[in-house]
Amino acid sequence: MNLQIEAMGDVTFVEPAGRLDFDAATGFQEALERTLGGAGKPPAAVIIDGTRLDYVSSAGLRAFLLAARSAQRAGIVFALCALQPAVREVFELSGFSRIIPVHADRASALAQAQQGRT
Amino acid sequence: MTLPLPLTPVRRLTELVSAKTRGFAELLIGSRGPYARAFESLILALVIFSIASIGVESIPGLPDWVRRTLYVAEIATVAIFTFEYLLRIVAARNKFAFIFSYQGVIDLLAIAPFYLLGFDARWLRALRLLRLLRVLKLQTHFLETVVEERTRELAEKNAALEKAQAQLKAELEVARALQLAILPAAFPARSGCEAAARMIPATTMGGDFYDYIELPDGQIGLVIADVSGHGVPAAFFMAVARTNLHELAAHHLDPGECLAQTNDALCAQNPLDLFVTVFYCVLDPKSGVLRYANGGHNPPYIRRAAGPIETLRGAGGLVLGAMSGGRYPTHTVQLLSGDRLVLFTDGVTEAFNAADELYGAQRLADEVHVHGGGTPAALVERICQSVTNFAGTAPQSDDITLTVLTWGTP
Repeated sequence: MNLQIEAMGDVTFVEPAGRLDFDAATGFQEALERTLGGAGKPPAAVIIDGTRLDYVSSAGLRAFLLAARSAQRAGIVFALCALQPAVREVFELSGFSRIIPVHADRASALAQAQQGRT
Repeated sequence: MTLPLPLTPVRRLTELVSAKTRGFAELLIGSRGPYARAFESLILALVIFSIASIGVESIPGLPDWVRRTLYVAEIATVAIFTFEYLLRIVAARNKFAFIFSYQGVIDLLAIAPFYLLGFDARWLRALRLLRLLRVLKLQTHFLETVVEERTRELAEKNAALEKAQAQLKAELEVARALQLAILPAAFPARSGCEAAARMIPATTMGGDFYDYIELPDGQIGLVIADVSGHGVPAAFFMAVARTNLHELAAHHLDPGECLAQTNDALCAQNPLDLFVTVFYCVLDPKSGVLRYANGGHNPPYIRRAAGPIETLRGAGGLVLGAMSGGRYPTHTVQLLSGDRLVLFTDGVTEAFNAADELYGAQRLADEVHVHGGGTPAALVERICQSVTNFAGTAPQSDDITLTVLTWGTP
């Protein structure tokens, strides 16, 4: 799967594109771990932008769960935004939207992240 | 193709050689020839001896008998080298290619000076230095030995690898059989209830499961679940989850409480951070009351006897195994005579076809609506067929699991 990572100040946006299924999950998880705990200064927040994320399987959900745990340990805000309706439903049905905040778009996710820090 | 003139005698020679002679040649130089190793050692020894003798010959004032001996030895050596050279031509599948190969040229150069010079042509003495090229013959022989060695090692490793692979496959087959044996073979016999189920794993080992549990007071527990990922880790987690839920169900008759207990048990023994989505319901066959709780699973369908489809929504909890201490609310629904309960995993609704389209919940609901009037087994078969037909040539990316239960008489 294609992954776009851009750092804006101390917030890093990760935008996965396509299907996050069993085959893509490991690569995605590793990319998230690198973003959360890679070389250099860790970001204050990592926000997943779901605009181009078409599908998430249960293995994909596990990647999110592991990333959320790592973020919590490192004291990094971890959130989702702009999920497509089908993907949003997966997060709601599985109960994941209760442990990982889901926002409407980047702006509200960013506002929430900054509010959380002050 | 006509060969260049100087090669004609060679060709004629090789043409004269029968298959029998080639068989003989391969005895000595074939990679599996029984005398190949001995012959190889002989050539090697001769090469070293002849190089040494070239050095000795150059010493001034050597006694005559030494010179004579060395000369006889030289004739014998060249004779054997020539014999070897001809053998190689005979044995080569593509003679032309051998003659012009590195080894072919070196072998020829090693003997050529002798023939060019005749028995003693003093004016060409300088050419004798060409005999030093025999050093190169050493190199080709060593190369050949090394290549042969490596080829044999590779063949041995491949054989070992194939054996290990076959063993692994056999073990996976056993594990798969064990896993399928965990799934219940039959629904507990109850008047007015009938059920059927099917699981089609995506890889050899699936992470989906279903279960029927006999509970006190004649109640029946029904489970459908999907472990994240698939393969061996998912299959192990499935076995652990199924066993925990099955054991805890007898002690916690409230479905939500049972899921909460199972979740805590799974969180305590989850080194791989896997999780499982579970829909668990308890049916009282006497009254048709169905109590259910949902741990992150696709909500099942009820097909009412008259045909309409209802989705068993109602707030659920988080998938099991992800976080301890979760709450799972219990909901109640009344089944009416002839209603069908359809439990499934997302392998059904999220089956892709070759055009990357999803099978989707709507297609499933339509199948259940149109074909739900028959026996549970018929509906299970019908839906599996429908999904398989839809997916066509696209590979199955997730386990497909389905359970259908009817209550009362339609």
